[in-house]
Amino acid sequence: MDELKQVFVQESGEQLDALEALLLELENRPDDETTLNGIFRAAHTIKGAAGMVEAAAVEAFAHVVENVLDRLRNHEIEVTTELAALMLACTDQLRVLVAAEAGAADKDEAQIAADSARLLERLNAYGPAGQHAAGSPRVVEPDVQRIPSPQAGHNCWHLSVRFGPDVLRQGMDPENFLRFLETVGNIRHLETLADSMPAAEVMDPELCYLGFEIALESAADKQAIEDVFAFVRDECQLAILPPNSKVGDYLELIESLPEDSLRLGEILVRVGALTADELAEGLRAQSGPAAGEMAQEARQIGEILVAQHVVQPELVAAAVAKQTQVSEKKAHDAKLIRVPADKLDHLINLVGELVIAGAATSLLSHSRRDGELIESASLLTRLVEEIRDASLQLRTVQIGETFNRFQRLVRDACKDLGKDVELLISGGETELDKSIVEKIGDPLMHLVRNSLDHGIEAPAVREAAGKNPRGSLSLNAFHDAGNIVIEVTDDGAGLNRDRILAKAIERGLVDAEAHLSDREVYDLIFAPGLSTAEQVTNLSGRGVGMDVVRRNLQALRGTINVDSQPGRGTRLTLRLPLTLAIIDGFLVVSANRSYVIPLDAVVECIERPVAEHDRNYFNLRGQVLPAVCLRESFNLPGERPTRESVVVVQYAGQRAGIVVDRLAGELQAVIKPLGAIFRHLQGIGGSTILGSGEVALILDISALIKISGQAEQRLLARPEQRSA
Amino acid sequence: MAGLASGALFIQFDTLFRGCCLHALGGSDYVKTIMLVDDSATVLLSISGILTKAGFQVVTANSAEDGQKKLAGGTKPDLLITDLNMPGMNGIEFIKVVRQKAELRFMPILFLTTESQQAKRAEAKAAGASGWIVKPATADTLLNTIKLVLR
Repeated sequence: MDELKQVFVQESGEQLDALEALLLELENRPDDETTLNGIFRAAHTIKGAAGMVEAAAVEAFAHVVENVLDRLRNHEIEVTTELAALMLACTDQLRVLVAAEAGAADKDEAQIAADSARLLERLNAYGPAGQHAAGSPRVVEPDVQRIPSPQAGHNCWHLSVRFGPDVLRQGMDPENFLRFLETVGNIRHLETLADSMPAAEVMDPELCYLGFEIALESAADKQAIEDVFAFVRDECQLAILPPNSKVGDYLELIESLPEDSLRLGEILVRVGALTADELAEGLRAQSGPAAGEMAQEARQIGEILVAQHVVQPELVAAAVAKQTQVSEKKAHDAKLIRVPADKLDHLINLVGELVIAGAATSLLSHSRRDGELIESASLLTRLVEEIRDASLQLRTVQIGETFNRFQRLVRDACKDLGKDVELLISGGETELDKSIVEKIGDPLMHLVRNSLDHGIEAPAVREAAGKNPRGSLSLNAFHDAGNIVIEVTDDGAGLNRDRILAKAIERGLVDAEAHLSDREVYDLIFAPGLSTAEQVTNLSGRGVGMDVVRRNLQALRGTINVDSQPGRGTRLTLRLPLTLAIIDGFLVVSANRSYVIPLDAVVECIERPVAEHDRNYFNLRGQVLPAVCLRESFNLPGERPTRESVVVVQYAGQRAGIVVDRLAGELQAVIKPLGAIFRHLQGIGGSTILGSGEVALILDISALIKISGQAEQRLLARPEQRSA
Repeated sequence: MAGLASGALFIQFDTLFRGCCLHALGGSDYVKTIMLVDDSATVLLSISGILTKAGFQVVTANSAEDGQKKLAGGTKPDLLITDLNMPGMNGIEFIKVVRQKAELRFMPILFLTTESQQAKRAEAKAAGASGWIVKPATADTLLNTIKLVLR
């Protein structure tokens, strides 16, 4: 017995032991998914291994067993005592079959075969109607009609392939297919189509934009040629025309090709209906200037070609019709102006500079105390603001399109998960910056999947809880004070506070004795590596997602919050800035340095008495708020002034006071991103240039609040220092 | 037009493949590495036998977790072949995880499947797989499929 057989016998033995144990467990817990999956997998492994060592008897028997188990796993049939007993008998039979394979069976072959046949008959009662032993019936291609046509085409198959954009990302190389085609025949001619290739600046080098028109000389049948493309069959557009196809087939192909303004002759060459020589001949015969309407020119070539009996008239008509379609589409496109994104970015940048220059003028006019100048400057400022808003709007798109993409996702996921969920979309007309829309698609998808997977319960569970068996998931967007808010709400089971906390303690994320508020506990779901899902599914639940979601949002200067009520549902609230380019800011000064606080974070400003200078908290009308002193945070030199100001800021429901030397009023700040070396700076979100030409740093409020909270916790953890 | 098109073709292949997969073009004596992930010892042994005989270097892993460990440990395969049905992390999850690694984004991934698992194919493709091998595969089928996806 060779080594492979030995391994097979040993492995099958282990799998059969596992199968038996799981089958016995199944009787106690008939609905346990893990058990069902384990049973299926054991049978599946045995079958696969048997195939590898060419143990046909084992493989055939295991195949039927696997089919029944698959139906069981998919809840198409129920677990009964009878079925469990039958399965156990099958397990025993598999043992005998494996032993026979190893030449160690204690029964004779005829008896084993008879036993197998008896069991198979009983198994068939559980199989799908009309179950076959193995494989699916192959669809028989109808006989291809070959009509001799001396004028069009050559004696080659014609292949028209447009690869899907993601072919490279799936690890496939289009070139490989072409090389592989050579194993079924000879490529006589190949045309590469790069018409869908966008301009270099918007081209994504990871996408494939190519198509090929191929003339293949081959004795293989259509199935064999099609099989070459089996791996990309679903994503690519593939048309295969047999040698000497009817003209009508070529016409259909022209109609189905992606739109482009190829000239008639080239289309004909590409579809292989014509050779390049025939086209050149046609072009030579065409007298007069080549300029003029493209369709008209095409018609001329076509007429010449027809006159020379090089192509059939219907072929020309189809190509001309195709070109007309293209030009009609162009006329329709004219209502919308396509602008390269970089031109738009340049405009926004200029508007930003204009805002700064306007601020400088306004500053100057106030210092001159010239009434008329002030009035004229303020008019200018208002107009500049309008221009700013209008030009920012050029970049905005409605979020509805992004939302609508989820319809399909929800539908498909529901099918997979066996749930019934209605997706409600509102606020789809809310506009936000295109660059933001592009980046929130993935985080949103993750949240939606999470809700479907873990939030909303299975219909039976919902019904038992007195809820509508049909779950609802809603996506809502609206504007709120300079932010766009996106809510993902489900009416599922809600977050399980105890389980999250237990898991976080287990992972060492929080202290076992820590007293956490509900919000703090819920926030833990964003910690890396935390998933409370009991069973990991294909959709989500590996605990690698929520921290990534939060990180992605933070990169966009956004935040995410979670609200949950046990048994009632969960709401995730995403807050994002409307644009990434310009913000309304509040200018403050500490140690003669200017800082900008985003205005939508500012709640109010108060003065702080000297007596409170040493405290890191302050009293706001009875409410205790943490205080963040800029001088301390940034280690600024110099004495603290006798009268400090506090800017009360609010971010994501949390309030804090930022202690500064002096307030300097509102301004519009054009955000200039900091260089890469400052990327790790905490508490600073960017910089801006003031009207005076001075550079001011823009404070990252959420980071500042977090830093102050952490400092506080460190202090609390070491009480002796605090009292010192 | 034809000249321009093939020019564009050149740019794409050039930047993508000559650039990213320099190591795969390191001369004819370069031995390609194939990582094989399957929980069945029989499958591992038989397939790795075929591949080794065909001149590939084979790294085997008996679970997705094991495969991840080996990838993290510095194994840089030119091709990954994985089973879908495995205890612990399943093949589809594994494909997703592998695809997220920057250096493996364009590596071909084949998965082992059976005639009866048609529905899984689309799911695995969506996860980033390049293609599939139907079990049980003959040495010819196996090597032909590898030839199709491997440069």
